[in-house]
Amino acid sequence: MSQTTLVQPRTEFLRGFSMRDAGTLIGLVVILGVFGALVPGFFAERNLINILQQSSINACLALGMTLVIISGGIDLSVGPTAALSAVISASMMVAGVPFPLAIAAGFAIGMLCGLVNGILVAYVGLQPFIVTLGTLSTYRALALIYTGGNPVLGLPPSFRAIFNGSLFGLPLAVIIVAVVAIIAWIVLKKTPFGEYLLAVGGNEEAAYIAGVPIARTKIAAYMISGLLAALAAQILIGRLGAAEPILGNLWELDAIAAAAIGGASLMGGKGSVIGTILGAVILGAMRNGLTLMNVQSFYQLLATGLIILAAMLIDRVTRGRG
Amino acid sequence: MSVRLQFDGISKVFPAVKALSGVSFSVGAGEIHGLLGENGAGKSTLLRILSGVYRPTSGSVLIDGKAVTLANPVAARAAGVAMIHQELQQVPRLSVAQNMFLGHPLTRGGIFVARREQERRAAEALAAIDPSINPSAPLGTLKVAQRQIVEIARALLDRARIVAMDEPTSSLTPSEFERLAEVVKGLARDGVAVVYVSHKLDEVFGICQRATIMRDGVVVDSVDLKSLSEKAVVAMMVGRELAQEQHHSHATSEVMLSVRGLASATKVRDVSFDLHRGEVLGIAGLVGSGRTELLRLLAGADRTTAGTISLDGKAMRLSSPRAAIAAGIGLVPEERKREGIVPLRSITSNMALASMGVFAPRGVIDHGRLKLVAVQKMKRVNLRPFLLDRPIRLFSGGNQQKAIIGRWLAAGTRVLLFDEPTRGIDVGAKSEIYHLIEELAAEGHCVIVVSSELPEVIRLADRVLVMRDGTVAAELGKADLSEQAIAAHAIPQTQTAAGNAAGQDNR
Repeated sequence: MSQTTLVQPRTEFLRGFSMRDAGTLIGLVVILGVFGALVPGFFAERNLINILQQSSINACLALGMTLVIISGGIDLSVGPTAALSAVISASMMVAGVPFPLAIAAGFAIGMLCGLVNGILVAYVGLQPFIVTLGTLSTYRALALIYTGGNPVLGLPPSFRAIFNGSLFGLPLAVIIVAVVAIIAWIVLKKTPFGEYLLAVGGNEEAAYIAGVPIARTKIAAYMISGLLAALAAQILIGRLGAAEPILGNLWELDAIAAAAIGGASLMGGKGSVIGTILGAVILGAMRNGLTLMNVQSFYQLLATGLIILAAMLIDRVTRGRG
Repeated sequence: MSVRLQFDGISKVFPAVKALSGVSFSVGAGEIHGLLGENGAGKSTLLRILSGVYRPTSGSVLIDGKAVTLANPVAARAAGVAMIHQELQQVPRLSVAQNMFLGHPLTRGGIFVARREQERRAAEALAAIDPSINPSAPLGTLKVAQRQIVEIARALLDRARIVAMDEPTSSLTPSEFERLAEVVKGLARDGVAVVYVSHKLDEVFGICQRATIMRDGVVVDSVDLKSLSEKAVVAMMVGRELAQEQHHSHATSEVMLSVRGLASATKVRDVSFDLHRGEVLGIAGLVGSGRTELLRLLAGADRTTAGTISLDGKAMRLSSPRAAIAAGIGLVPEERKREGIVPLRSITSNMALASMGVFAPRGVIDHGRLKLVAVQKMKRVNLRPFLLDRPIRLFSGGNQQKAIIGRWLAAGTRVLLFDEPTRGIDVGAKSEIYHLIEELAAEGHCVIVVSSELPEVIRLADRVLVMRDGTVAAELGKADLSEQAIAAHAIPQTQTAAGNAAGQDNR
């Protein structure tokens, strides 16, 4: 046991954290390189911006997912949370409520959904997978019941303008998600809450004895996940101009994939904001490239699956045992 | 006595570190051979070579005079080597018999598990050592001591000629140890060679005839234990004489913590005592007497159902560890891995976990200040190696313990609760922890030490409470303190001292 601890002096820290991010970055570079060689115009500025825009919604969800996964949980309900938040704030806007108020209401719905998840996990003590599987159906049903299954159409142009605008040549949606990512990075690296998340996911019992507020930390993670789902929903309905109660189907899977590619461990206690963003861009770039190559969507699905498995295998091999 | 097992010039080189170098010694058939050394001396590596987990870089293992290649654990088992691990590798939900046949079940026609036949043979193997164990009972319902015995029975089932035991008694009570010792001696009488690794020298002296002492990957000597004192052996292990430890009291008369009529739903009932500034209070008693539970109540980790805890004369409601920490009480838990450390996080993060708020007055952690405090506190506890950013799981048990102590220093804790402070910690680090506890007391902290090791309690405590059945059975001042006095109060009167398994394992 202890013999091996004499090896690897200082590099262990780097190896545990930023080395993993570097690995994800290499993965991204390889994928970009492959598509750049195969697809003419892949590296065109417009296409690169396109990739970022197409990745932004998944990145937004995946950031929340990363925090939840680090805390040792999982949030399968992000898609329906987004849908519920979208249809409620859209119907408020259609009814003439000023859009900032409607957006705020959408955010509040997202956080409320997260709060319910968090309370069931942290106070009632149910397993996160089952809790959010249950609320996945529940929130989706609420969105469908609320709208009668019909899309909410006719969103005000002023609202749509914000999410379709751009700044410094970048779509506003991308900038918003970038800001969220920076905040998430600061939260994880520089605040007590971030340390608590890592501790709760890394060893809940020890965190409890050390005085970490376990329940509050978990609930906050789910609320942030709900809030970011709601933000993703606003970006989407701003782009589409309509809110469908079925929007966000299978979003949770892409978000989990991005987090996992980025190095989050579903066992908890480990995860990286930078990695997750890179993971989301990897998935986005791959879909973009395959679409430009006119590859059938069946094969896109196949590629997504293989990328996830490859990332996990590389992770396993480079990390060695235990 | 014929030589059963021989290590001949075993070396093992890992990238960048030489773990073993030219290790040679032999164990006779029917001998119980102690393997002693501090953590990192190479004992575990040697055992892993013996059990086929590692291949030696050079040198060979000889069984009954023939060199054997132990390419993997299955080959080692086939060669007659059984390994009994410190942390038992068993599946609690499966039955005793299923565990004993784990990995190579008896089958009918290669398809169906012959459950009844397994249980019959398991019962046969158990009958020789402990017939009271029911082979069809789920393993999880057994006490730790019995689970050890199941593991030994499994070795018998494999017709093991060599049994290696790694710290088999780290979680046994003294009477359970007696039982285990009988079983091990029985094995030896049947001609099995036993390699016995333990930190507890009194056990090794009680059970082994000879011992090999290792330090830094080499054999210091193989000695006959009858002709040596414990002190001489310790000196060989650590490579220097450890000074005879003297107890120094720093107790004052000022009452800091006052406990009255404390009770919990399960274990603790009607506990009252005072703790003075600068005092080290020992709590002794059998495993299961409520010691750990009492500490958890004081640390806010469990609910109290009755009684009061007051600190500096103010009554406290300790509804959570967070509340207890805010009041100035911190727990250094018994099971470091489970309740102490966050394994993937750095020393610094583990240290700061209890006082994060202090380092982040405006919401964002002041990493400069955090680093400064970490350097200061970890120097204070003498962390080795001094790598504050390295994940804590890569440190030895003793250094993990130092980091947890540093956690409470950083949090400004005034009452420190230690539960088995030196469990699984080697001799050198042990005395460092003792000194640290003493220094903390000298600085005006007050300390409670729960320990199963009576010499440890006597070494550290100014005063000892002996617990029995969840309450304080006796209070012993320094003058009355002896192992006999503690044991007399710890063991229920209706039970004889040498009786069957005394405490239950409730952890």
